[in-house]
Amino acid sequence: MAEIKVPKQQKCIAILWPSFLVAIVASGLFFSAFDPDDLYPFGEQAEISRLGIYSIGFLLFWLVSAVSGIGTLYFAMTNCMRRRPDSRDQ
Amino acid sequence: MTNPDVTGPAAASQSDEQVAQSLYAKAEKIYPRQVHGLFARLRVLGVLGLLGIYYLLPWLHWNGQQALLLDLPARKFHIFFVTLWPQDFFYLAVLLIIAGLMLFFVTALAGRVWCGYACPQTVWTEAFLWIERKVEGDRMRQQKLDALPMNARKFRIKATKHFLWIVFSGWTGFTFVGYFSPIVELGHNLLTFNLGPWETFWVIFYGFATYGNAGFMREQVCKYMCPYARFQSAMFDKDTLVVSYIPARGEPRGSRKRSVDPVSKGLGDCIDCTMCVQVCPTGIDIRDGLQYECIACSACIDACDDVMGKMGYETGLIKYTTEHAMKGGVTKIIRPRIVIYAVFLLAIIAAFAWSFSQRVSLGLDVIRDRNTLYRETGDGLIENVYILKVLNMDNAEHQYDLRVSGIPGLSLHKDIAVIHVDSGGILELPVRLRADEADLEARSNDVVFELVAKDNDALAVSEDARFLGPQ
Repeated sequence: MAEIKVPKQQKCIAILWPSFLVAIVASGLFFSAFDPDDLYPFGEQAEISRLGIYSIGFLLFWLVSAVSGIGTLYFAMTNCMRRRPDSRDQ
Repeated sequence: MTNPDVTGPAAASQSDEQVAQSLYAKAEKIYPRQVHGLFARLRVLGVLGLLGIYYLLPWLHWNGQQALLLDLPARKFHIFFVTLWPQDFFYLAVLLIIAGLMLFFVTALAGRVWCGYACPQTVWTEAFLWIERKVEGDRMRQQKLDALPMNARKFRIKATKHFLWIVFSGWTGFTFVGYFSPIVELGHNLLTFNLGPWETFWVIFYGFATYGNAGFMREQVCKYMCPYARFQSAMFDKDTLVVSYIPARGEPRGSRKRSVDPVSKGLGDCIDCTMCVQVCPTGIDIRDGLQYECIACSACIDACDDVMGKMGYETGLIKYTTEHAMKGGVTKIIRPRIVIYAVFLLAIIAAFAWSFSQRVSLGLDVIRDRNTLYRETGDGLIENVYILKVLNMDNAEHQYDLRVSGIPGLSLHKDIAVIHVDSGGILELPVRLRADEADLEARSNDVVFELVAKDNDALAVSEDARFLGPQ
């Protein structure tokens, strides 16, 4: 089995795309339950419109799940290398 | 691509490598050839219909307000005659489940018809391909133009195409935001350059996604990004409708003159003109068998039927068929898989319809005053204080009667005489309950608030609360 070189672009899509879908679901669930006007992050009410809070929330969810995706990809790839010591000789 | 002549274990690992590389290799640009025929007409009809709905629906008004407005800033979804609130999240979730099951059902029955005719990726790609053809010309001209080094003419043509794509994408992004924020107001703000920062962000974001997906990514979205493309085969069985080449009839393939009788040359009906490959938007050869890249758009059927007609052969060398039918059997439409999906689907739709018909457009929240558990009034009664939140989710204003029960002799006191709430309004109403200590059975007693619309007995809700006393 030859070593598969995955181009950077593919890695980016593999991280950004699933986390994007997860962020949609997560922000949908979160903001159905919580009205941004009732939230007091760090004890203060943010003076941003609801649409702004939704957007920031969505982008944060996206960031968090993308970081998790990076972790998954990193562990999967380093694990592949460890399991095939012969690939180091090449 | 892989060479079918190479055999043996060494070759197998080599071909593995090649497959992996082709999967991740820089994709070659596919120039789908324009196709005419029955299925192409159906798809154009589908594309025009769906795009028409998408771009016009937000402008449609119903009873003086936008007919379909998922008003995120106001936290209300207006869907024609119903208004859904965050409390109705359940219904939206069930609707999504119904849509998912429907997709399963249709896939089991008719294969990937969603992909070929209705998927937004297909619909917008068709629109972008149309613009591309209008500006750059047909497949041959596009390939020639791309092979040329950059010059003034090429730059002008490319710039025109991208300009049109960007305008179209921008309009798409604007329309998208118009589903979530009133579109008339949005259009006014856009024309007067007063669009809010987040609205601007989402118009550009969605516009950019359209431009990228329909202009550049195209079939790669289906191949690499679409989850449905990966798991749809789980719904397939031997009676599912697929687009297939009939090798028994076509092979051995080979070119020949129209006048030559293929049987005398030992040839099948396939003249190897590669039209089916040229029209394929995902760039596969349907003659290699069923492949996961195939989005069942049936462009190859149209192309092949056209060629068969010209050759004077029977059409249907590539056609919609099933695995059973191809092996000479009979396609069974009613089979356990279909019945199970249908039963689930009907059960959930029925449950949804029943539950939705029982939905009461009135909400009541009871919040106890947190500062004092209870207090004694001047005439020796025990008093508890509550704040009621009355939410009128109906499309008309109403007046309500408030009743309370649970303790003998319990009395209700409020500062306003009439509980009146506008459509879509929320009223915060402080109320006091008083009871004689002798009537309290425990420290904590159950009471029930009941709220009924004066003009409609069906608009009624009740909410439990606790009444605390000294015992």
